[in-house]
Amino acid sequence: MPQNKQARTEKTSAGNPSRDLILGRIRQALLTSAPELSAPAAPSGRVIFEPIHNPLERFQQECIANLTECALTTDFVSSAQHLAKVLASLPAGEAFVQDDSALRRLVELTSPARSIRWSSEGAPREASQVTVTLAETLIAQTGSILVSASCGGRGASVIAPCHIVYATVAQLVPDLATALARIGQERKLDRHSFACVISGSSRTADIEKILVQGAHGPRRLVVILQVAL
Amino acid sequence: MNPTAAQRFLENAALKSADLVHREIIRRGMDSYDAAHLQGRARIKDWEAARARCQEIKREAIDHLDRYLLQFEEQVVARGGQVYWAANAQEASSYVTDLALRLGVRTVVKSKSMVTEEIHLSRALENEGITVWETDLGEFIVQLRNEGPYHIVTPAMHLNRGQIANLFREKLEPGITSDDPADLMAVARRKLREAFFTAEMAISGANFLVADAGVVAISTNEGNGRLCTSVPRIHVVVTGIEKVIPRLEDLAVLWPVLATSGTGQGITTYSTMIAGPRLPGEIDGAEQFYVVLVDNGRSQLLADAEQREVLHCIRCGACLNICPVFRHVGGHTYGTTYPGPIGSVLTPHLNGIREFKHLSFASSLCGACSSVCPVKIDLHHHLLQNRRNATEAGATAWSERLTFRMWRLAMVRPWLYVLGGWWMRRALRMLYRLGLAGTVLDPMRAWNRHRGPVPLPAESFRARWRKDHAAK
Repeated sequence: MPQNKQARTEKTSAGNPSRDLILGRIRQALLTSAPELSAPAAPSGRVIFEPIHNPLERFQQECIANLTECALTTDFVSSAQHLAKVLASLPAGEAFVQDDSALRRLVELTSPARSIRWSSEGAPREASQVTVTLAETLIAQTGSILVSASCGGRGASVIAPCHIVYATVAQLVPDLATALARIGQERKLDRHSFACVISGSSRTADIEKILVQGAHGPRRLVVILQVAL
Repeated sequence: MNPTAAQRFLENAALKSADLVHREIIRRGMDSYDAAHLQGRARIKDWEAARARCQEIKREAIDHLDRYLLQFEEQVVARGGQVYWAANAQEASSYVTDLALRLGVRTVVKSKSMVTEEIHLSRALENEGITVWETDLGEFIVQLRNEGPYHIVTPAMHLNRGQIANLFREKLEPGITSDDPADLMAVARRKLREAFFTAEMAISGANFLVADAGVVAISTNEGNGRLCTSVPRIHVVVTGIEKVIPRLEDLAVLWPVLATSGTGQGITTYSTMIAGPRLPGEIDGAEQFYVVLVDNGRSQLLADAEQREVLHCIRCGACLNICPVFRHVGGHTYGTTYPGPIGSVLTPHLNGIREFKHLSFASSLCGACSSVCPVKIDLHHHLLQNRRNATEAGATAWSERLTFRMWRLAMVRPWLYVLGGWWMRRALRMLYRLGLAGTVLDPMRAWNRHRGPVPLPAESFRARWRKDHAAK
């Protein structure tokens, strides 16, 4: 293995003479150290973010601030009912659904009138009206959902005008630090080429700083959050 | 003779400060930013601790830049991505252009990236006949106008809805009747959807390169960055070598601080992590993944230990927003890729102190920029250091050197100073009486041109001092 790595490094340098040049310049530059900070750096023990005592309550509050529709459901059947309600409110057109056994059962219960494209059949089509996926984690601090490529791929959370996420409270973590530490520990990004912390529907304020919901991605982000299994 | 960058700056600054429509647009934009920014900061329990933490993270990264870059590279390469190191703008831009040509690319979609502006990448691609679409709404608008971004976060903040509606009517759909921002966004969305689904290559920037996880972190609100990294088959990340950070967990503080400083949000809507090309079994994402690490003067700035911390910048735009100079003269007046205080500090390092030293003088050194910087860069002191460096490099004009020689002469000879003051008071009074204040004959022209003449004292400061204090 180390031999492979060596060979790879050499190959990189061979086609890229500036690599060693830049690294050399950096090393030369760093021989002189930067002046000490005038004020001591962050004294450890100072709490940057307000501690979160009730993650579920915080998640709901942040969803409101992010313009995410968060619906609490008590069980699988009521989750299906809510999903059916959201689907019924959307214009006709194909739905893209992550191919997962729980989602298959959920969609079955809603008996939707629209055609379903499962993620096992390929990437979502541009004309999809809605996508339904799971999430890796929910983050209370910022009212976010964390998805990875395993949640129906990269486009599943951004291509359609409406993205519906089905999650359970067991997936809720208090803050970003916990969520990121988990990704790091489980080396999730070695197994999935993509992950994203999504905090609301797509938006822009590029014209006169006025908030417009629904830019290139979904206008609606719906989280169906099931409290019990 | 072509005007110098400094002459153009003065000329445009005068024009823009007097442009009432522009002033109104900027005032409104900045008012809403100020409100959001303050609210955002209030949501963080200890803002000063957050700044100190971010400063610490960036300092650690920059102090071990070689090690963290290599760690990042190793993992990207292990996952099948490629990393290219470009010493300068020319190298970076020809690498991407050659790559596009080699892979048969005809259309490129771009997600916002200031480094691609810095290396003039779009122009290089277009010269090869490749169509380039900017997909961030603000960038798309300024691209249609053939101009550079006005601001590093909100590129089209100098335009109002009426101007944008006119632009879209002229360039996109003649039938547009509404100037509502939501409707204008819908027009851009329709147009750019075609681009997303025909482009073979996406080019994005990076907000952070995470060394321990080997991940490129990209923050966008519109989702354009998401579509760019999901749909086309090739993804090229073009970014500066200073963007690396040590650990994935660092994002837990950097993301909220970046969003708060940039727009007042708690976190950017899409905080994306890309680890490499699509893996076997994944249904979408680029099959080919390249990261171009651009030096272009950064290692030289690194060698300047005094100003090294300028590389900590996370490009949030807070120093632009608070700067009284930026608010009056506007972003385009700077004539640089990076405007505002950070641009004035950085540009001499990227493009030469001789041509761009004037920017460091276009500041009252009020320090507002340093007070808001989320990574605590001491911006206004760096402006002062640039002034010193420019003088030491002999980059000052002969007239300025002459003036200061005379000043020094007078300062060491009190009688000469007294005589000079006496003469100036009389000569200026005469000049004002003749109605010549503000004309080319007026030594105070720079001030008097646009204002009432500076009132002249009847007697010198020394005389007043003697009268008021020495007597007691």
